[in-house]
Amino acid sequence: MNKLIQWMRRLEGWFGLATAIFLAVGLYMSLISSPPDYYQGEIVRIMYVHVPFAQTSLLSYLVLFIGSIWYLWKKDSVIDNLSHATAGIGVFFTAGELVTGSIWGKPAWNTWWSWDARMTSALVLLLILVAYLMLRVFMDDRDKEARYAAILAIVGFIDLPIVYFSVEWWRTLHQPLSVSQRGLAISQEILIPLIVMTIGFYLLFTYMVMVRTRMLYLGHLLEAKKGRFLSQAHL
Amino acid sequence: MSRVKTLFYIRWGIILLVIFTIAVLGYQRYLRDVASLTPDQILEHPSNETVRISGMIQGGSLTREDDGLSASFSLQGNNRSLIVRYHGQDTDSLRDLKVVVVTGRMNTKTAEFEGEALSLVPNYGFVAVSYLLGILPTCLFLFLMERKLRLLYTEVKEAKLYEPEVM
Repeated sequence: MNKLIQWMRRLEGWFGLATAIFLAVGLYMSLISSPPDYYQGEIVRIMYVHVPFAQTSLLSYLVLFIGSIWYLWKKDSVIDNLSHATAGIGVFFTAGELVTGSIWGKPAWNTWWSWDARMTSALVLLLILVAYLMLRVFMDDRDKEARYAAILAIVGFIDLPIVYFSVEWWRTLHQPLSVSQRGLAISQEILIPLIVMTIGFYLLFTYMVMVRTRMLYLGHLLEAKKGRFLSQAHL
Repeated sequence: MSRVKTLFYIRWGIILLVIFTIAVLGYQRYLRDVASLTPDQILEHPSNETVRISGMIQGGSLTREDDGLSASFSLQGNNRSLIVRYHGQDTDSLRDLKVVVVTGRMNTKTAEFEGEALSLVPNYGFVAVSYLLGILPTCLFLFLMERKLRLLYTEVKEAKLYEPEVM
């Protein structure tokens, strides 16, 4: 068995446990113990799910980018499984970011959607990830599929800094970065639950990547086994 | 049922139990710190306890005192209106036809509400929906992935590499 898969199998349980602890504590702080915001009132609580979704969406694309470069360099099929897994999970987190952001937008800005730089670039990120997954579904040759998908992911990376810095580069409806070189624009009572939830989401992402990578690896292994069986049977 | 399968369902049972506990605690906090009564409810069941009431300030009913800390207005419910004598901060934020949440006590003798604090309309439905749409699909996604992984693992173990044809 591949070393990376073995390593994932060994550590998966610990990551799962840490995820559960951080998310349980984070949810308790977000929904119960943290105070309402002076300006936004109770709706600030949406931030504790929306921001971690957004941060994890960026992290997932970063991992996909690194995995794609790694694959083109080493041509390791398990790294390709990891990139493929990350893209699927990235779609989930980016969609979650857009949905929770839209729900927050209605009471905060009185609109479900605005074509501002942050929201549009996040939507573009989702479309790139969907295109990546579609490419993988419609190609017949597995090597070509992995290579073209990796190239697409590397080209699509250009959207990542646009998503992150859009709120600094353009003055739009979306608020600027809360943690930047200018300092911290957020009170500690709100920051702590946000950090706990974000760590929980990062751990969740890592755990999901481990599970999904192993899932894809076993799927391919099964296909290979069945293929060999058929070829032997029809000799 | 195999031991691995049993442990898998026990683990998910514990996860659902923790989520359910947090949801119950969240609902209790909502009732304690967020939920408000309508003017109709407080007029039907008047009590001396401190409560929050929410409603729209009737047009033309708002009058302010010169001290900047007192105001009175009529708060419109579904069918009935309640007179509110407010004394506290933020009287500038009071406007005709604005929906407000006032914390205070009902004066059962005068049938007027004595308000002492104003707060924002909570919009808690948006909070609840965003958590439901954030957490439940995550659990479902993870559950299906883990289940699929286990099924694949069993299938790979049971799959035969080579089986000679019967002659």
